[in-house]
Amino acid sequence: MDVPLGSGDPGTRLSPSETPMPPFIVLTGLQKKFSDHTVLQDISLQVEEGEILTLLGPSGSGKTTLLRLLAGFETLDGGAIRVGEEDVTGIPPERRNFGMVFQHYALFPHLSVAENIAFGLETRNQSRQEVQERLVEVLALVDLAGFEDRRVQEISGGQQQRVALARALAPRPRLLLLDEPLSNLDPDLRERTRRQLRRAVKQVGLTAVWVTHEQEEAFDVGDRIALLEAGVLVQVGSPEELYLEPNSLFVAGFVGRASVLAGEQLQDGRVKIGDDRFRGHGVRWPVVGVGDRSAGDKVDVVFRPETLGFESPDHPESLVGRIVQRQYTGEASFFLVELEGGGEVLVRGDSQTARIDSRVGVVVRPDGPPPRSFVRTSEAIS
Amino acid sequence: MSHQSRSRAGWAAAAVLAWLVGYPLVITLLEALGLPESFTLEHFLEFASGADEWRALWQSLWISTASTILAGAVGVPLAFIFERLGFPGRRILGSLIALPVALPPLVGVIAFLFLYGESGFVARGLQQWLNLPRAPWRLSGAVAILLVHAYSMYVYFYLFTRAALARLDASLEEAAAALGAGRWRRLRRVTLPILLPAMAGAALLTFMTSLGSFSAPYIFGGSFRVMTTQIMASKLNGEIAMAQVETVTLAVMAFCGLWAMRRIDPGSTAVVGGVRGISPTRRELRRPLARWGAALAGWGLALFLLLPHLTLLLISFVPPGTWTVELVPPVLDGSNYASLVTTPERLRPVLNSLWMATVATVGAVALGLTAARLSVRAGGRLGRMLETLVTVPWALPGTVFAMALATTFAVHAPLAGRFVLVGTPWLLPLAYLVRSLPLTGRSALAGLRQFDPSLEEAAASLGAGRWRRLRRVVLPLLRPAVMAGASLAFITALGDFVTSIVIYTFDTRPISIEILSSLRLQETGVAAVYGVLLVLVSGTAFVIWGRDQRA
Repeated sequence: MDVPLGSGDPGTRLSPSETPMPPFIVLTGLQKKFSDHTVLQDISLQVEEGEILTLLGPSGSGKTTLLRLLAGFETLDGGAIRVGEEDVTGIPPERRNFGMVFQHYALFPHLSVAENIAFGLETRNQSRQEVQERLVEVLALVDLAGFEDRRVQEISGGQQQRVALARALAPRPRLLLLDEPLSNLDPDLRERTRRQLRRAVKQVGLTAVWVTHEQEEAFDVGDRIALLEAGVLVQVGSPEELYLEPNSLFVAGFVGRASVLAGEQLQDGRVKIGDDRFRGHGVRWPVVGVGDRSAGDKVDVVFRPETLGFESPDHPESLVGRIVQRQYTGEASFFLVELEGGGEVLVRGDSQTARIDSRVGVVVRPDGPPPRSFVRTSEAIS
Repeated sequence: MSHQSRSRAGWAAAAVLAWLVGYPLVITLLEALGLPESFTLEHFLEFASGADEWRALWQSLWISTASTILAGAVGVPLAFIFERLGFPGRRILGSLIALPVALPPLVGVIAFLFLYGESGFVARGLQQWLNLPRAPWRLSGAVAILLVHAYSMYVYFYLFTRAALARLDASLEEAAAALGAGRWRRLRRVTLPILLPAMAGAALLTFMTSLGSFSAPYIFGGSFRVMTTQIMASKLNGEIAMAQVETVTLAVMAFCGLWAMRRIDPGSTAVVGGVRGISPTRRELRRPLARWGAALAGWGLALFLLLPHLTLLLISFVPPGTWTVELVPPVLDGSNYASLVTTPERLRPVLNSLWMATVATVGAVALGLTAARLSVRAGGRLGRMLETLVTVPWALPGTVFAMALATTFAVHAPLAGRFVLVGTPWLLPLAYLVRSLPLTGRSALAGLRQFDPSLEEAAASLGAGRWRRLRRVVLPLLRPAVMAGASLAFITALGDFVTSIVIYTFDTRPISIEILSSLRLQETGVAAVYGVLLVLVSGTAFVIWGRDQRA
């Protein structure tokens, strides 16, 4: 499933019980260059109606450019965008009927809150009555009734953000695009706002594409996540899929906590880690292999903290090491173990039994997500 | 410096500034009212009942309004073209067409005269082509003034609008597009309203510059008088009291403009949020036809705007008496330039202008920097007062200041702070200094406001005394701002005509006055040489200024 990048089949994965519907947005082979520098390469992606898709990736991965291509602010160098039954590739942004929430909100500074929200309604030949009704409706939706006549500079950042959402929703767009909509808010406000935002979008039943560089935000708001790296779509899937079944070392490392150990593929499907001639320095563990490999290949094995557990250092299938650090998050404790055979791993454990500086054996838990291995292509990444 | 002595120094600086800037204006008002001998409104009544006076007032107003509209019509589209379209040569042309703002007005006027005047290239060409008995037009009156104004003042609109456009958050227009607004609607409903404060600022600046404009009305106006030329005419006719009343009237008009200006904040174009992460909006023209079309239009336009100065350069190579009826001058050589070096009488004005501009600039930098530093430190009412005093000469027409200084320093009354400077070589540099104060003072203020006070505190904590702090920390950091102000001050003083014509003496006649007398003597080549000289020096100083602005 990892070989043809980004061409998963999200529809059946999302809602297997429903009869398959044609996807609402279909991106085929999108290409974008900025003066000889390729920013996006062969992006193909589908979004279901009513779905919230988050575009996640490190800065410079091309996620904002992808969103701007969808909106029509950038022109494609190749590929096509279809929305519903319509090919919108050559259509200017003003005729696409997509709502957009900008990173800095882009509220018109010379217009009041109400005038900002009504801006998109004026072009649609609506009567004053209709505009007024719609205004009241969306203001209630974003919980800003009574703010009509305020100047946009006078209201707080969170309120500006909601005005931006209301303005985008007012003309009843067929698709909502959000460009890091929360990045300008204080961290404590961010979490609350993102739930409000998600609820408002879901309430209207809109399809949305949401750009973020924060994994937690992407997991929290997205039905599915499209992960980009250096202009390439590396994996599309539900949060669980990205976390439990990453299709590359990059995805495993970018999403959630993970430790990586180097190993060697064995004939029987297991992976040899470390030097097994010395007790506790080497093991042969069963590992899920992603992609083709043959015996003797060098592989990187990815462990989630809950994949691993503690045993006595005498346990025959354990890697022996010393606990050097503890991170306590409230729900769980994570222990950083420096292995005697080299390398370090993060283990989720119980603070009652594990102590800093104690010598422990690290084993694969039978009940945790299995470790996954990726064949090394070039030099090591760890 | 202790707080007390600092405040004492602040008041002392305020007193010096008030004596140079505010006092002459007050003296002029008092003398216009007949004081101190006897109070009379006679001169003001005479002004109010004079049809000529009302006509000059009215003409000043409508010429300024029309100049503003014309300058806007040229400058705003230029700003959009150069900020929004990408084409070959955009960058260099974009700064080249801002040049007229740095050139002395008189030079622009004579350059215009050489190109479009009745014996200029265009008129000669048309005359020969159509076989006319005489030149097809006379470049004079309101039309000529308006043309020169539009030609030199579009730069304000161009610079202000372009800066505002560059600051404009691109996502605002994108947001409007996403909400269904087409190109014209975006322009009308979003872009232009947001640019409005900047354009209003440019309009007011143009209006006030036009109100104080002297060179164009003086050369082209003839019997068409505006307030500035009316003041000059009254003075030449010996009607000193009337000239003073007219000066007061013009000053009041300018103060109204300054007051209006303070209410408009061009910086309010700033936008909610920042512009981080937004790709540039410049539309690179891709199709070769559009690309080269735009380049051609841009270059053509720039050439058109710079053509008068190129004409000036050409004329400077025409020896006296060699060019009569031909379309193009038959002889070109460097004899005019040579005569500048060989004839002491011709070199004299250049040396005069150089030393007076230098003295004035040094003085204006010292006084401006002192006032700015004290203004920032004192803050409060004293700070605002210092700032206002430094700003006022900028808002007032040069004619007003020249008249006020000539009035104040024509009397010997040391106890009243008045000395006879009229007729001495010192009044003109002093006038230049006062006129340059806003340039040096305001750029020092701008520099100081960006200056982190903790830097000076750090120097003090390391044991640096007052002078050492100034020399090692403050001045080096302020250097770009001070240099910028100084270079503008220098070119203003070097090319000054409006103040000079009121108070020059024969021994201290500056370049501009010599240009005028060369023109009267039909020595156009010599006038052009002086013009070229001013353009070169001003252009160089402008480039230095521009570099510091970018730094």
